[in-house]
Amino acid sequence: MSVKAYARERVGIWVIYGALSLVMGIFLVAFRIQGELIFFLLMMMWAVVIGTEIWELCRKKQFYDGMLRSLAELDNKYLIQELLEQPDFLEGQILCDVLHETNKSMYEHVAGYRQQNREFQEFIELWVHEIKLPVASLSLMMHNHRSEFGSKALEQLRRIDSYTDTVLYFARAEHAEKDYLIKPVSLKRIVSNAALRNREDLLLHGVRLETEQLDVQVLTDGKWLEFILGQFIANSLRYTSGKEDPFIRITAKDLSDRTVLHFYDNGIGIPADDLPHIFTKSFTGHNGRVFARSTGMGLYIVRNLCNRLGHDISVQSEEGKYTELSITFRKNDFYTR
Amino acid sequence: MNKICIVEDDEPMRTELCALLKNAGYETEELTDFSRSLDFLRATDADLILLDINLPQMNGEMLLRELRRNSSTPVIMLTSRTSEMDEALSLSSGADDYITKPYHPTILLLHISAVLKRTSRVQVRTTYRNIEINVAKGCLSTGTQEQILTKNEMIIFQLLLDRQGEIVTRDALMTALWDNDEFVNDNALSVNVSRLRTKLAAIGCPDAIETRKKMGYILL
Repeated sequence: MSVKAYARERVGIWVIYGALSLVMGIFLVAFRIQGELIFFLLMMMWAVVIGTEIWELCRKKQFYDGMLRSLAELDNKYLIQELLEQPDFLEGQILCDVLHETNKSMYEHVAGYRQQNREFQEFIELWVHEIKLPVASLSLMMHNHRSEFGSKALEQLRRIDSYTDTVLYFARAEHAEKDYLIKPVSLKRIVSNAALRNREDLLLHGVRLETEQLDVQVLTDGKWLEFILGQFIANSLRYTSGKEDPFIRITAKDLSDRTVLHFYDNGIGIPADDLPHIFTKSFTGHNGRVFARSTGMGLYIVRNLCNRLGHDISVQSEEGKYTELSITFRKNDFYTR
Repeated sequence: MNKICIVEDDEPMRTELCALLKNAGYETEELTDFSRSLDFLRATDADLILLDINLPQMNGEMLLRELRRNSSTPVIMLTSRTSEMDEALSLSSGADDYITKPYHPTILLLHISAVLKRTSRVQVRTTYRNIEINVAKGCLSTGTQEQILTKNEMIIFQLLLDRQGEIVTRDALMTALWDNDEFVNDNALSVNVSRLRTKLAAIGCPDAIETRKKMGYILL
């Protein structure tokens, strides 16, 4: 609160005081009061007026300046009410009460949404687990009666399964409190699990899979990493179609302080303009528009999962040539302790 | 023949699991009365138990913990939950392996045979007719002759040998190869099988592997 702004607001009252002292002066002169006495009276009145004004200004300035300062320092502005000292003037007290009440009602409001959100998330997770049962039955049925269904039906079923997985991991990644277990896992094991799960798709698309130097242990959550690799594979398959001799190469580099997993494919690549945005929610980009069937969620979820697990993810690509996604696992005993 | 006990409350699922395991040459036994599941499991003479986690009356983990007090029958947990925590929990309560739904049928079979092998309910065979198999050296020998097998050929031969006299599907062979980080395609599989045939013929067993059209291979 600047003195100038305060003065501008009070200027009307001072004009009234001025007019009042003028009228009083005229009256007192008309009543033939002594000149010195008139001066003394007026001086006294002005002294009181100026004194109160300064006092008012000081305590208000102290309160509001303090408030603004705390507000600027706060990350969560809505917490300002907690930092206010009860002021000794009425307006300030009213303001505090209003803040208190609005805050309280907003907390209740937010708690309501939070509850709703949690219930929804729980429902989604439950639903995903339930839907897995019929999907599992169906896949067994198809396997047992292969001649009647054929591999096309199986492929569709696998798509259903992978989409439900996306829902599950999205629900998990958005909520930090969900469980994951970080322990040393073998990259080789995780990669072959992911490959096994996507075997039919890889063969159907005629994509060769090469792996090199995967005999490394990294600190991560195996299930999540498997899901991440599954997403990478699905992406590669989507964007390698039509290429001659399409392949995916998965390699790992073990450095002193970190291990980097490289996922390389010789697919259509990503245009340079799109590259910085591929981890953004709902971003489909040029490839997504041309090749369709892209929701723009896969890599967004992947990045979220990576953040949560403490891995770095990066991408390199040249349009028409290749795409390489890299995940960096840090070697930090902080995780295991 | 190995007997597998299926503990799964979802009926269609149970039926299909049964069919899958029977096709793969296992004997099966189903638990249907879940009010007495523990007694049933204690009494069974199965070589392996497939145990679902979400069961009526007593859930799978509890059941397993109780069972482990006086039985060491290998158990594979089946579940639709997909968190590492559950895996850690079930392994700590004494499961030998863990598979999440929807399991890939051939992967499930792979896990079953791996657990059976590990718990040595299945003897790993080291001879076929008059041929001695040395897995560590990767070769077959008859005493006078020797044939070196590649990793792929060895995997295929072992799988066929484990189920000698039964049809092994290309799918199962493929799964086994991929599980061992040999990401081969259909053509490569055919090539590997025919090379294996040639090598077997060279060592005195021509016609050892027969092709069953649209079904798979069989080792006679």
